[in-house]
Amino acid sequence: MASAASAIAAVLFVALLAAWAAGGGSVSLPWAPTLGIRLELSLDGFAILYALLATGIGFLVFVYGSGYLPAHLGHQRRPASDARRFWPWMVVFMAAMVGLAMALDLVLLFVLFDITAVASYFLIGFDRQRAEARGAAFMALLVTAGSAVAMLLGAVLLYSEYGTFSLPVLFERAHPTPVTTAAAALIAVAALAKSAQVPLHFWLPRAMEAPTPVSAYLHSAAMVAAGVLVLGRIHPLLALDPAVLDALLLIGFASIAVGGLIALAQDELKQVLAHSTISQYGYVVVLYGIGGAHGAVAAALYVVAHAIAKSALFMTAGAVTEATGESRLSRLGGLARELPVVAVASGIAAASLAALPLTLGFFKDELFFEAAAEESPLVGALAVVAAGLTFAYLGRFWLGAFMGRRRTPASRISPLLVAPIVVLAVVSIIGGLFVEPFARLAAGAGAVTVGAPVDASPGYHLDLGLANVMAAAAWTLGIVILLATSVREPVARAVAAAGDRLGPRRVYGLGLLAFERLSEAAHRAEVRDLRTSLAAVLVPGAVLAALGFFATPTEGAYAVGPISAADLPIVALLALGVVAAFTAARDRGRLRPVLALSVLGASLAGVYAVMGAPDVALVAVVIETVVTLVFVTVFSQLPATVMGRAGPAAPSPHRIRNVAAGIVAGVTAFGVIWTALSRPPLGSSDAAQDIQLTPLAHGADVVTVILADFRGLDTMVEITVLAVAVLGVASLLRREREP
Amino acid sequence: MSPVIGVVAPRILAPAVMLAAGLIVKGYSDTGEGFSAGVIVALAIGLRYITLGRRRADRTLAVARHANVVAAAGLLIALGFGFQGVLSGAPPFTHLPPPGSPVIGIGTLELTTAVGFDVGLFLLVAGSLTVLIRYLTELLPDPADDPGDER
Amino acid sequence: MNLVFALAAAILFGIGAYLVLQRDLVRLVLGVAVISQSAVLTLLAASLRLGAAPIYPLPEGTLSDPLSQAMALTAIVIGMAVTALLLVLVFRVAVAFRSDELEEVAGEEVSLDARLEETEGEAHEREEAAAR
Repeated sequence: MASAASAIAAVLFVALLAAWAAGGGSVSLPWAPTLGIRLELSLDGFAILYALLATGIGFLVFVYGSGYLPAHLGHQRRPASDARRFWPWMVVFMAAMVGLAMALDLVLLFVLFDITAVASYFLIGFDRQRAEARGAAFMALLVTAGSAVAMLLGAVLLYSEYGTFSLPVLFERAHPTPVTTAAAALIAVAALAKSAQVPLHFWLPRAMEAPTPVSAYLHSAAMVAAGVLVLGRIHPLLALDPAVLDALLLIGFASIAVGGLIALAQDELKQVLAHSTISQYGYVVVLYGIGGAHGAVAAALYVVAHAIAKSALFMTAGAVTEATGESRLSRLGGLARELPVVAVASGIAAASLAALPLTLGFFKDELFFEAAAEESPLVGALAVVAAGLTFAYLGRFWLGAFMGRRRTPASRISPLLVAPIVVLAVVSIIGGLFVEPFARLAAGAGAVTVGAPVDASPGYHLDLGLANVMAAAAWTLGIVILLATSVREPVARAVAAAGDRLGPRRVYGLGLLAFERLSEAAHRAEVRDLRTSLAAVLVPGAVLAALGFFATPTEGAYAVGPISAADLPIVALLALGVVAAFTAARDRGRLRPVLALSVLGASLAGVYAVMGAPDVALVAVVIETVVTLVFVTVFSQLPATVMGRAGPAAPSPHRIRNVAAGIVAGVTAFGVIWTALSRPPLGSSDAAQDIQLTPLAHGADVVTVILADFRGLDTMVEITVLAVAVLGVASLLRREREP
Repeated sequence: MSPVIGVVAPRILAPAVMLAAGLIVKGYSDTGEGFSAGVIVALAIGLRYITLGRRRADRTLAVARHANVVAAAGLLIALGFGFQGVLSGAPPFTHLPPPGSPVIGIGTLELTTAVGFDVGLFLLVAGSLTVLIRYLTELLPDPADDPGDER
Repeated sequence: MNLVFALAAAILFGIGAYLVLQRDLVRLVLGVAVISQSAVLTLLAASLRLGAAPIYPLPEGTLSDPLSQAMALTAIVIGMAVTALLLVLVFRVAVAFRSDELEEVAGEEVSLDARLEETEGEAHEREEAAAR
């Protein structure tokens, strides 16, 4: 199954490359035409970039996973067949990302966005026997899918304003109004939560409970990338209001700071990387906040460089843990001697992420610095600090694992775990030497984001240009932070601790707890007294009926109606039925009420027969027989304690209340039914048409023809209900189900 | 068990099936249809189960043991006749043959899709109610075990 | 005739409502059955016309409304299905709790709940601790 998944990814990747060379394409099919929703997909530059990432990195991650998963299942003593719950979701994950990259319809975008959330739920919670994994999966789903609702709201707002869900049309029609701003901000909220930006970042570090291939994919090319993908896709809407862009800048920098500082304090390898992801996507959000051609191209290149490096680093963490059985930096060190290939490859990946020259990452920071400095000196300065922070925690990560004293011995690991890291490292180096194809990719994406052709020419400039000076400053700052252990560690710990105490994760926990309490209270109220739940149905119904009463004019609303001598049998039979019903209500035994019920049924069947409804009468009689049979059989087998209850039960303490409630219900029903029956008949009706058409349907009994022909669908549903009920009865009565 | 019931119960199934067949055949032109026919057959089977007990009834009436299959077949037949029109792009429950065209008739019964639907309905109702009855009689003490029991 | 039908259906509904409020679960099922009878009666009484059965060859005079008859048939069948399911459900409850008294069953439920909660609360705390 793993090889099938890898093959799918590889084929898709090659197909996308070919499509890129051919210039892309688009398709637009009606999906739900009455709602104006179309299946609008376009393989433009922007889609190419994200789809190539999703399939290319997907392929490498799948290859890595084919080596990792059997070992992972083996460690947990789980059957190898559990892989069946892994690979399909991985492929769905990838397919949803490719679709998301190409989607141009807001509703389609939302649906695919949620599919990635669902897939990630199952993948994060793959180790379902561990409560932490389940909790992490639930948290990821609640945060990302919950905030995705904001996206749908935004889409509906835009539809109500401009009458379309199609993004290209929206870009043409949209103009700055408060509604547009609100809608754009709502969509941005969903995107930011997905990209784990402050303050909705807390789900991502916990998602590390997932198996390493999932983390590697989720952080680089799938889940988290989906957030910035949406930001880049709807950027023209965001750019309509400068306030939205400023908010993005603010959130981006806050995420860089929070993620970076906490990453410095983490001991677990994957936790360092997870917080680094928060920080790195902060960069991308900042770039979209800066906006313009430079921002858009820089963001695109940043996503590519980050995805390549970050997936390599995650796979490194997994490989190291697999080799040593240890995942804490404080217990690791000196692995460069034992895992030289991994050490070099991950060193290149880390260098790329830290933007050292000769790697693809260098150019992402070059463009980042240029865009930031262009925006304002303050943003430029913040950018330098951010890059310094990145440099510091990546240095700590790599040096801590591969340099220094050896603390835990490493064993040999499968080449499947190493090869993907090497490939990614080579790609990073190639990007550092020949940046042109990557720049073209980024320029294509940026052009879609800003809606105009842009040019991007990153390259090495051996001069004292602003970007070079800023990069040098960042590295210096990074080295200083790395060396100043005594200052760094307490500060980072304090930030991490403060975040844990006061941070949004705590709010989430308290919120969840409050919800649980609420649902428990509601559940208890319902369990303690069935009447509460009955009242919850009956009282609102009665209130509605009462409102209808007061709204209806009373004149002529209550007609007594003529009674002729021919109606006397009906009256007599009705009276018999009512008496039988009273008996059923008054008698406290078991059998007599049931017999009374069947008398009621029989007398009503008689009424129907006299009313000219022989079909109804026939069915009523046979059905009444079945019901009585069921009642009697069940009663004969009720447990001894129930059947043997001495004499009539003590009168209920609520007897008077119940009688009063019954009377109120009866009186209300009387009013409603009487006024309903008093409506004068309409001139023509469906019934007259049905009667006329019956001979054409080769029938004579109009009622049967209606049931089997004119309204056959109703009958179909009706017997389905019957079959489902019987299915329910059968499963309740199964012998082996007995307690 | 009263002797009358003892005599009647095993013998009532055949007349009941006849009655049901009559209800289906005449149903289109007179009172009754597949639904009530199904209930009547199920009731006759039920009487048998109650008087003979679950095990003996199962032995003498093999078809009742597979009532769930009968019900499923009925559902499929009903669905098939109901939705045949969908295959050719017509709305569900399109009447075939179309009004005005000649219809094959067997006596007074005219074979139309609606009649087929009715037969499916009959099988579904008779089958699922028999399932219900079988499960219910499983609760009862088996008269074969204890002939003196008259509860 | 309107008045008579309305009166009968309303009395049935009132009795059904009274039965539904009983603490004896079996009587609750009886109540549901009575209410569905009342609903069928109302449906049929609401036909636009009462008269002879609508069967060809059509008799002279007024015909009964076939449409509401078809609907009443559907209502009867679904009412029966619901009643049977409810009854067996109550039977299961009575077997499981050795009682068909609403209060006793509810009390048993609550104590079961409390026990479950204890174990689940511990698990929850462990999970919270693991998350930190």
